[in-house]
Amino acid sequence: MPEGSEVLATAPDIPRTTRVRTTRAERLRDLRAARELLRQLVGRDLRIQHRGTVLGNLWSLITPVLTVAVYTFVFTVIMPSSPVHAGVDVPFAIYLFTGLTVWNLLQNAVLSGTGSVVGAGYLLSKVYFRREILPLTSVLSALVTFCWELGVALVAVTVFVGLPDWRVVWLPLVVVVVVLLAFGLSLILSTAAVFFRDVQHFIGIALQIGFWGSPVIYSLALLDNRPTLHRLMEFNPMTGVLDSVRNVLLAHEDPEWALLGYGAAVGVVLVLVGLMVYRRNERLFAEMI
Amino acid sequence: MSDIAIEVDDVWKSFRVYQERTHSLKERFLGRSNKYEEFWALKGVSFEVPTGSTLGIVGPNGSGKSTALKVLARILTPNRGQVRVRGSIASLLELGTGFHPDLTGRENVYLASAVLGRTEKETAAIYDSIVDFAGVEQFMELPVKNYSSGMYARLAFAVSISVEPDVLLLDEVLAVGDEEFQMKCFDRIGHFRDTGRTIVLVSHSLDTIRTMCRDAIWIERGELKAYGPSDEVVAGYLGDVHLGPGSAHPAGAPRWGTGGVAVTEVRFLDADGRASTTLHGGRPATIELDYELHAPIDDVVFGIAIHRADNGVLVHGQNTTNVPLERPLPRSGTMRLAIEDLPLLKGPYQLTVAAHDSSGTTTYDWHEREHGFQVMDSGRTLGQSGLAYLPGQWSVEPVRSPGLSMA
Repeated sequence: MPEGSEVLATAPDIPRTTRVRTTRAERLRDLRAARELLRQLVGRDLRIQHRGTVLGNLWSLITPVLTVAVYTFVFTVIMPSSPVHAGVDVPFAIYLFTGLTVWNLLQNAVLSGTGSVVGAGYLLSKVYFRREILPLTSVLSALVTFCWELGVALVAVTVFVGLPDWRVVWLPLVVVVVVLLAFGLSLILSTAAVFFRDVQHFIGIALQIGFWGSPVIYSLALLDNRPTLHRLMEFNPMTGVLDSVRNVLLAHEDPEWALLGYGAAVGVVLVLVGLMVYRRNERLFAEMI
Repeated sequence: MSDIAIEVDDVWKSFRVYQERTHSLKERFLGRSNKYEEFWALKGVSFEVPTGSTLGIVGPNGSGKSTALKVLARILTPNRGQVRVRGSIASLLELGTGFHPDLTGRENVYLASAVLGRTEKETAAIYDSIVDFAGVEQFMELPVKNYSSGMYARLAFAVSISVEPDVLLLDEVLAVGDEEFQMKCFDRIGHFRDTGRTIVLVSHSLDTIRTMCRDAIWIERGELKAYGPSDEVVAGYLGDVHLGPGSAHPAGAPRWGTGGVAVTEVRFLDADGRASTTLHGGRPATIELDYELHAPIDDVVFGIAIHRADNGVLVHGQNTTNVPLERPLPRSGTMRLAIEDLPLLKGPYQLTVAAHDSSGTTTYDWHEREHGFQVMDSGRTLGQSGLAYLPGQWSVEPVRSPGLSMA
């Protein structure tokens, strides 16, 4: 045994990373366990969502259908809006809904992702697991909800605009970009929320600003004669995503490759930075919450 | 397979104890959140646990026991030092970790199993046995929020204890519940031990540590005070606890304590109420303790223990923990224990008397086997041998005719 007082004097102020040796077999076992837990946690989120309701999972379908119905009513009867010209004329309600669907994926994932670590204190302090699965659970749960909305969007597009052409195959690519962005943001924000609870309040407002700063309710073409604003808008990684979704679903055009590529790059950087931030701090989660 | 399952090498773990826990940006940037003290929960702890053995961790509250267990479980990361655990680990620090009230019993079994690191397929294979063990088959499709607390605990227990890890880390929360539960728990731990698994157990119950564990470590204020066979470690720990904080007397001293409460006089009264150190087995007897409070102390428990003077056997012990005493206690007075028929047989005895707080951490006054007394036979105990007088009745009954019972 080392002499206590002597070692105490050199004990570090700032926690150092400890060397926990793990073998390949142990890492594989951890990964397998993490995958199982992830699956169970996503399943739990989805089950709880509609537990206790009469219609149950039907709500996943009813909500987007009613949303489309309300938009259509509002924008054709109450305040008739001219169709958006995207190759073909698209009713404004449908234009809005396709964009909103994609935006909701980001918003739901980031909102629940931000609180995912703080909300899992009961697990963090009792068992070990790969901590990354907490924000990932939020993103995947949001993705499942998104799939329902996307299904409704596809039907609505087919009915009001026409059957999308083969370019619909690019859709998953667009979704991957959103998932990358959402996961990266969730990693960073969930870590931040552990140390500053303010983040959870701040994120609601930030998402609102993001919503109006992204071409969800308007089209980027609206800014065509305001080059500065247009340029500024292109820095928003969601711009390419939203434009591409409309291109693919409504206009039968290719995605905006340059903008989408930029969005993907931002997404990858966010995930990498997020993983770094998350892993550097995850060992403090159990004692901070 | 290596024969060392757990290696803990010079592990240090500190927590920041914030005087005012702040989570807000404003305070952070105004620099007001820097008021914290570094609290070292573990200070250079090292030990090893051989594969297939059982290790108990003892120590007073807040000594670092649970921190040690959480470091082993990888829930907490040490600031310094290494922890090496070979094989799969399951940590059972509470019942039903991961249970969600809105999910059904079935869904919770799968969820909590995943939390314990089990795959869905593995859980499916033992699902029936878990439900069987819990005895709540008919409620498995109901949300657990509708369960009674007993049902909930049984199901949570059944899931927890169904793990089959190489290394099992147990906190005593598992030992809550009724006696039947505890028996099942001990049975199961016995099964783990018999199948060559490694177990680390944190418990306040020293008897549990002694019976369940081969080895034990004693952690106090973050430091390893003893490490060895559980009997020896527990004995050492017990001796230390009795000395208590604030008592300056060396080990082996017959009398110690803070003096906040003083037992000034001890008397034995015989069947006629006369003070005497000679009592009679099977006859009424009384023990009286005169005490004085030297400080306004309300949390006092008086206790006695009786040892045989000739062979040191502890014959009896009891205290006033569950006895409703007059509050506040008179500044000075006599505690009287009236015994209807003294159930002791002929021999020399020693009485230990003590006054301590209800948690047992502060000893006010302790007289270790300071007061001797003799027990003589009375007409009732004549012919009985051993330590205890049993006031039983013998009788005889003829065997019933077999014809009657066959009817």
